[in-house]
Parts: sequence; structure tokens; C-alpha cells
Amino acid sequence: VSTCPRRFEAEAMRDGRLGDAERASFERHTAGCAACAQEVAALEDLAEALREGGASADDLHARRERTRLLAAFDRELVTPPRPSPARRVLWPAAVALLVVGLFAFWRSRPPAFELPKAPSASVVVPVNEAVWSKRPDGEREKIVLERGELLIRVHHGAGERPLLVVLPDGELEDTGTTFTVTAEHGRTVRVAVEEGSVVLRLRDREPITIRAGAEWSAPSRPPAATPPHSPTEPTAPAAATRSAPAAAAPPPSGASPPLASSDFRAAMAALDRGDNAGAAAAFASFAARHPRDARAEDAAYLRVIALQRVGDVAAMKEAARDYLVRYPTGFRSAEVGRLSP
Amino acid sequence: MSARRARIGDAPQEADPHIMQRIAKGEIGALGELYDRHRVPVHRFVARVTGHAEDVDDLVHATFLTAAKSAAKYDGRAACRPWLIGIAAQLVRRRRTAFVRFLAAIASATGQRATSVDPRATLDARSDIEKALTGLTEAKRMTLLMAEVEGLSCQEIAEALGVPIGTVWTRLHAARKEMRAAMEGTS
Repeated sequence: VSTCPRRFEAEAMRDGRLGDAERASFERHTAGCAACAQEVAALEDLAEALREGGASADDLHARRERTRLLAAFDRELVTPPRPSPARRVLWPAAVALLVVGLFAFWRSRPPAFELPKAPSASVVVPVNEAVWSKRPDGEREKIVLERGELLIRVHHGAGERPLLVVLPDGELEDTGTTFTVTAEHGRTVRVAVEEGSVVLRLRDREPITIRAGAEWSAPSRPPAATPPHSPTEPTAPAAATRSAPAAAAPPPSGASPPLASSDFRAAMAALDRGDNAGAAAAFASFAARHPRDARAEDAAYLRVIALQRVGDVAAMKEAARDYLVRYPTGFRSAEVGRLSP
Repeated sequence: MSARRARIGDAPQEADPHIMQRIAKGEIGALGELYDRHRVPVHRFVARVTGHAEDVDDLVHATFLTAAKSAAKYDGRAACRPWLIGIAAQLVRRRRTAFVRFLAAIASATGQRATSVDPRATLDARSDIEKALTGLTEAKRMTLLMAEVEGLSCQEIAEALGVPIGTVWTRLHAARKEMRAAMEGTS
């Protein structure tokens, strides 16, 4: 390729170092200069290669990391900011003055009416070793449920505060009701409302309003041969089933018998030691044998990665399509979608 | 397949500035939405810049937590991904300074060379482009990824890294030159 003294301008243009006139001039020049046109194309090729790279299978703990992040943010919210030295001195004095003033005002005015009840607080009854916390949050009351089951009763009253339950995969808003919410393995699996109503907002789903007497159960993971929109996995708006008996609800997915754990460990071990073909087969077997296990989605995803490492593009794309059919809004659907254009 | 993915993508999505406003008001769910939306590019950026170090998760965690604490100061740009990448880059730089001191202390105490590199990086760095990227210094690698993958302007990179814009241009030029040489050497 012949050299051109203006070739360096290709990179200058890419980095925004050229003014409008210089840029227009170089673009006109490039139309007739093979060396400069090739340089522009080479720079774009490099950028394209960089954009395509970087896929990693190292995001298995993403859901857990999400919960960790939200819990950390929650702690930040309730931690009072450290006051400045001047404020440290002034605040106690201001508070003392306010207390004295309020006391004097209260003593000077006999009560002409009964004071309204204090803003109501919710009553939370944890079930099954629930992991949760409850904190005030401005005008709202906030409950963070990491896992387990909570029976929550919100008293009605003039000064009631809205209640927000933060779930591993969404949130639940309430303004005065009695309900039970259950979360397991990083997702909400059941909400049953006794009185009032709640709005359940889960990631990647439309908000669901659940009214008194109704119960919502998370759709179970579809088995291997189940099409994506079969009646066993309703779409989000239809998932709010009214009065579904609790006993008829499917058991929460994620119950992991020892056999499933050993199968998954074996597949991961194959992947780690570089036996990618064996790992792909093991993950496929795991997904078929334990379709309702909490790691079934991980297995489907890792099967794609294993096949990608094997270099079997056709099988990898087929596995990617299989993942997208099973988990169209799955956690790795965007990444897998790029592998199966 | 494409029709279904398009349908999923057509779902109305709240704009990033609105999410940042909700985070500034203390809505935890909004932070969850921000994380779901931008976790993959932020994680990918941090992992590639640090060579898949063991503390990638902690750096990503710190990035989103820092963003949440600074939500009230968000400048309102339509997409906050470049802003998040800028925060991540600053955290990686600070971590590197502290980490190098820590490694030097360990090396002097034990006479051995410590490493934080995850063995999985060997598997992940399977392509020529990843191998070439690994050969760059962290500063060049970070600058190149910010410009070519994350789409930050040179001015934005300079502000995020606290260096003159001329340094950004120099690093980009050197990084591209080394990348192309490495790629040509392997082909």
C-alpha cells in the first residue's frame, strides 16, 4: 500500500482532533486516496473487534451482587451524614430550643380535641427464618426482604405512611392491607393478599395489582420440552391469578436435591479443566434432568459458553436459541442474543 | 427470533435521568433498575481493564454505589452509561495505586511476586484481540476501551481520568499501534 502524508489524519479525525473544515477536507481526500481509506477502515475494524470481544462467563453471581448492592445502598440511606464541626455544636442547641419551645406551646394550649393516632406502623411476622430488615425512609416505610416469608399487616389510619417492600427481583407497594410475601433464591415466588391491595413490580414484567383474596405465584421454570408461552408459564399481567389455592401452587423452584448439586458441580468442573465438550454435554444433561432447579438457567447459559469454546458454531447457536426460547427475558438474554443473531 | 427480541426491546423503558432522580430520592428499586440496565457493560469494562482480577465484583459494586450516592448531582445526560464508566475508571485507578503499594509490600516481605489475576482469564482471553489487549498497559487499555467500546469522547476520558486531553490522544495512538502490531503478529 502506498503511503500518504495525510494518512495520520484518519486517527485525528476519529479522535475528534480535526475541525469541521479539516474533517470535510480529509473526507473528500479519502474518497480518492486508497491508503487513507484503508487506514480509516483499519481503525474501524480494530474498534469493531474490540466491541465484539469481552464476553465473559464470570457473572454467575450477578443476582447475588444485585442484592448486595441494594442492601448496601439501603444501609447508606439510613446512616445519618456526619455533621460538620460547626453543626455538631449548633444542632444540640437548636434541638434544645425547639424542645423548650414546643413544651411551652403545649402547656399554654389545653387540648381541645383528641390528638390523632401516630402514623401507623406495619406489623411484620417473619416465617421460615426470613432474612429481612425494616427501616423508615422519608415519607415511606421500607421493608427489605432477602429471602423467606413475611406476613405483613399495615394498620389503616389518617396518618398512615405508604409501605414499600423491596424484593430481590423487584418491589411491592402497599397502602394499607394484610398480605404475605415469599422470596426464595433471589426471586419473589408468592404474594397472597388477605385485605386491601398491593402492586407487585418485578423486573422485566408489567406491574401486577393483587387484590384482597387473590394470590400470585411465580411461574415455574418451564421444563425442557415446554414451549415458551405455554399455559404453564403465563405472561406477567395474566400471572395474577385470583384465589389460587396455596396448596395447588407449584413448589418454589430452586429446591436443589443433592443429585442436582453434584451434577452441576461435575459440569462446572469439566468447564474449569477445559473439557468444554464434556461440559456442554453435562450442562445439557443437567438442564434436562433438573429443569426446575434454580441453576437451570445458568446451565443453559454455560452450555452456550462451553460450545463457543469448543468452536462448534452451529451447536453454539442452537444452544443459544434454546436458551432464548426458555428464558426470553433471562438474565443473560442480551448476551446470548448476540451469539445467536 | 428477531421479531420476538424486537418485541421485548419495544417495551417502554424509563429514561436514565428519571431513574437517577428516583435514586436521588432514595428509591432502592430504581438502583436495581439501573444495575440491571448497565451491569453488563460496566462489568465487562472493569473485567477487561483489570485483566479479570479477583476484585471485579467489588469494583462494579463500588461503581454503582458511588453512582447512587452521587445521583443528586447527575448532570442529566440522556444515557448514564458513559458516566458510570467514568466512575468505574476512577475507582480502578485509585484501586491500582493502593493495590500496587500493597503488592510491593508483599513482594518485599516475602521475596515473591503476588498476583491478583483470576485463572479464568486464561480461558476468557481466548481470542487474539483479548490477548493483544492484555499486552497493553492498564492506562492504555483503559483509554482504548473507553474510547472505542464505551464511546466516550476524548474530552470525557480526560475528565474522567484527570489527565490532559493530549495524554488521551497519545495513549490512544500508542494503544492502537501496539494492538495492530500484536494482531498482525498473530495472523
